[in-house]
Amino acid sequence: MRYKKIITDFFILMALTTNISFITSPNSYELVVTVAANLAATILKVGEGRVLSTEMLASSLVADLHLIPALFLYHMGDPQEAIGLAQGALAANVISVIISIIETIISAFTEEEE
Amino acid sequence: MRRRLRKRIKPKKRELKLIEQYERRLIEALKEFRIPLLMLHTAITVGTLGYMFLSGGDFINSFYMTIITIGTIGFGEIVAGSDTLYGRVFTSFLALMGIGVFTTSVTVIVRVFFKEDIIKLYRAIRMLREIEELEGHYIICGYDKTSAWLATLLKKRKIEFVVIDSREEAMKFLQEHNIKYFLIEEPHKRSVLQSAGIKRARGMIVNLGDDAKNIAVIVTARLMRPSKEEFYIYSFASTDGTADKLEELGANRALVPNKLLATRLAAYIFHTGSAFISDLFDRIAFGEETDIDILELKVEPGSPLVGKKLKDIDLRRALKVTVIAIRKSDGYLDVTVTGETTVEEGDTLIIFGQPKNLRKAQKILLEETHRVLEGER
Repeated sequence: MRYKKIITDFFILMALTTNISFITSPNSYELVVTVAANLAATILKVGEGRVLSTEMLASSLVADLHLIPALFLYHMGDPQEAIGLAQGALAANVISVIISIIETIISAFTEEEE
Repeated sequence: MRRRLRKRIKPKKRELKLIEQYERRLIEALKEFRIPLLMLHTAITVGTLGYMFLSGGDFINSFYMTIITIGTIGFGEIVAGSDTLYGRVFTSFLALMGIGVFTTSVTVIVRVFFKEDIIKLYRAIRMLREIEELEGHYIICGYDKTSAWLATLLKKRKIEFVVIDSREEAMKFLQEHNIKYFLIEEPHKRSVLQSAGIKRARGMIVNLGDDAKNIAVIVTARLMRPSKEEFYIYSFASTDGTADKLEELGANRALVPNKLLATRLAAYIFHTGSAFISDLFDRIAFGEETDIDILELKVEPGSPLVGKKLKDIDLRRALKVTVIAIRKSDGYLDVTVTGETTVEEGDTLIIFGQPKNLRKAQKILLEETHRVLEGER
């Protein structure tokens, strides 16, 4: 069992699930947790030199750049705009999860080859 | 069965390109940032969420309070609820945990940044990308005083080159001498020569100060570029015997530096009476005379020059260059050319003139040959 992969995948999924829960029921704490999970996922993806690592890091950065402004907008009195940005981040997070699945499949094949 | 077959035909693992090796090293260096960044991130998240619970959801002030607490600024109890009993207990624990995390993280990040020399790696990757764009350049293996002089002369002629040297201390001189492209790597490695653009290069100068090392580089280079006509390798050798061996192994020309110097000095001694002209030819031969140059132009089959007399071609008036000698296809050098001399197929015209006129003449004559051949087809 690869613990590093468990932690990375945990945060990637956590970023997606918290993002969805914020969109369905907008809440100040929920948004902070979403941003925290997204940032953790981004940090964990830094230096992951595998096949689709660049795409994964890029999608994570996109989500961060949507969620950080959303956090400030939400607390500055524009929750509608914040939700809009969180929806944008959701798209990036979905892509991130898909890339992660593809990456896992490719890694499994590569390991089998070796 | 299929699996067994796949195992049997498993391809040999490809040697990584130098740029890929550098990129991996950069990725490895970046990986070291993860733990300190995660620690810092956790401290900030815990602090912000804690103050948010205490203040009833005031994010901006909670974030600010966390930063000033773990950053040891400590302006005061800004967030509502932080001046209560629970608030002070939380601030105490956050300060105990956060200040340590903050200082450790910052220290580790700064240390990693300088230890792994991330900037140096990044610059090397950028340089390798630029080298990938080069074409018709030269590769100089080994950087000493001779190579430095050579680099100056190449720069003067605007000829691009890549220096390869395995010694770390060479880096200082390369930067001091403003060398645009260099690789601090072992020059005998295929991946290094590949990254120096050997496939697109015109030639190579091997000057590693050791015959064994020179041989290793020449052999590797010649295996990658087998044609002596398309890729020139010039090397230094310690003795005449080694020079012959290097030439047999793949060098187009191997020079013995001491002998070369002695020959040049002897030329001055032998021509004391005609010092100017001897010096002029010497400087032209060694590429020091930039106003005048000599060019060898081979008369290919189909060239419009074939069968013509030199007075009819009149290169002197048409292109401002002079044919001073003709080397016949059997190797005989005719130095008594006149206007009546006829140019034959396979001759090599030795032309004298200004570099720009020589280039112009070469271009025109080559184009003319090409046009004649196209017309025949």
